[in-house]
Amino acid sequence: MDFEDEIFSDGLPKVYYKHDDQGRYVLETDAPWAEKVTCALIIAGNRANLEEIRKAVLAGQKSPLCYYMELRQMDPVMLAKAAGIATFRVKRHLRPEIFAKLKPSVLDRYSKALRIPLEELKTVPNR
Amino acid sequence: MTTELAANGKPFVHNHGAHCETAVTSALFRYQGLDISEPMIFGIGSGIFFGYLPSVKLVHLQVTAFRNRPGTVFRKAAQRLGANLVIKTYRDPQKGMNELRQVLKAGHIVGLATNLYWLPYVSERHRHNFGGHNIIALREIEGGFRISDPTFGDPVDCSAEGLERARFVPGPMNPRGFMYYTKSINPHPDLRRACIKGMKNSCGLMLRIPLPIFGVRGMRFLAKRIVKSEVKLGFQEACRHLAGTVRWVEETGTGGAGFRYMYAAFMQEASELFGSEDLARLSRDMTTIGDTWREFSVMSARIIKQRNRPEATFANAGGLILKCADLEEAFFKNLQKAVKKLKA
Repeated sequence: MDFEDEIFSDGLPKVYYKHDDQGRYVLETDAPWAEKVTCALIIAGNRANLEEIRKAVLAGQKSPLCYYMELRQMDPVMLAKAAGIATFRVKRHLRPEIFAKLKPSVLDRYSKALRIPLEELKTVPNR
Repeated sequence: MTTELAANGKPFVHNHGAHCETAVTSALFRYQGLDISEPMIFGIGSGIFFGYLPSVKLVHLQVTAFRNRPGTVFRKAAQRLGANLVIKTYRDPQKGMNELRQVLKAGHIVGLATNLYWLPYVSERHRHNFGGHNIIALREIEGGFRISDPTFGDPVDCSAEGLERARFVPGPMNPRGFMYYTKSINPHPDLRRACIKGMKNSCGLMLRIPLPIFGVRGMRFLAKRIVKSEVKLGFQEACRHLAGTVRWVEETGTGGAGFRYMYAAFMQEASELFGSEDLARLSRDMTTIGDTWREFSVMSARIIKQRNRPEATFANAGGLILKCADLEEAFFKNLQKAVKKLKA
C-alpha cells in the first residue's frame, strides 16, 4: 500500500466542503490528493528526523534530551519555556557530555515538561 | 450524525464538522436550541483571513494562517449572536478538571481547548503539537469523559488523565485549561445584522491591515517567497516548505482550500437569508477562489512527487497564489460594496 494511503486508513476521516451537481455545498470525507501527498511527505520527514536523532544519540553525538524534544515536537525555545530553564542552557544540555552530568533536579524539570518518566529520559529506545 | 446524552439526560447530536472551533461553537448553539451551521458561525465570526508568519515555526515549518487567531471566531460569533458565554482558564490542573466536572454535572456541555498532540484517541497523522484544538465534553463517565470531537465522525471516550494532559501542557502550546460554555443564548438573534458585521470585519482584515504579512498583501509576499525558494534553498528544502504551506491549505481542518470553500458555503447561506443575488454571485466567486487554491495544492503535490509535468514549477505555484491574491482582493472589494446595499 502506498505510504499515503497507509497513513490515511486510520479510520479517522475528516470532512471537506464540496460543490455538488446542483451547485450546493455538501460535506464529504474523501481527502484531497494534495493533502495526502503533503501529509505523507511531512510525516515521513518527521519519522526520518526522529530516527536520525535516535542514531546520533546512540552514537554519542547528541544527548537523549534532543530525541525526546523532537518526539514531543518542541524546539529549544519551547522546551525552555516549558521546563523553566534558560534557552542557552537547554541548548547546552543537548550535548551528551553535559547532559550526563545534570543534577536530578534539572532532569526532573525536563521529565515534567516532556512528560517522559525520569529513567526513560536518560536513554533512547534501542530498536 | 449520532445522538448522545449530556449528564442531565438532554440529547446532544454529534455532527461531523470541517473545522474544530466553528463546529464546536455551532454545536454549543444547537444544544441550546439555535440551529446554526458551521459556515454561518465562520462567516459571522469573521474567520476568513490570511497571514504568512515566516518567523513562527511549528514542528520546523513556517506558519501560514488561513483563518484568524484561534478563539476569535467563537468570541465574535457569540458576541454578535447575543450569547452569554462563560470563559475560564486555570493555572491549577486539578482545579480545572474539578470545575469541568461540576459544570458537566449541572447539565452543560463544555467547549475545551486542548493540545492535539496529547489527545489519546488521535492517530499519527493528526498528532501535532498545537494547543488550539477545540473539543466538547459531554459528560463524565467511568474513569474519564465522553467527548464529542467534531473533527472526527463519532463521539469517543477519553481518560481523565489523558484529558488533563491535553488541557494543561507546559510551554507555549499550553491551552491552560481554557474552557467555555453558553450560560444563555438569544433564541432569535438578528442573523442579518450579525452577518453584516461579520462580512464587514472580514473585508477590513483582508484589505486594510497595513502590514505586508497579512491579508491580500501577505499572499503576494508568500507567492514571491515560493517563486524564489528553489534557487535560495535547493529543491529538497523548497519542497519541504511547499509541503508545509499546502498543509495549512488542506490538512489543518480547513474543510478544503484554506477555508475558502467554507466561506463560499457561508456566502450561499447568507444569499438565501438576504435574498441577495449579489451574495449568490460572490459565493460562486469564492468557489472559484477555492478552486484556485486547490489548483495550487495540486501543483505543489506534483512538484513534490516529481511527476515531471512541465508546468509544475515553483514559479507557477507562486503564480497561482498571486492569482488568488488578485481574485481575493476583487472579492472583498465587491463584498464591501454588496454589504452596503444589504438591509439588516
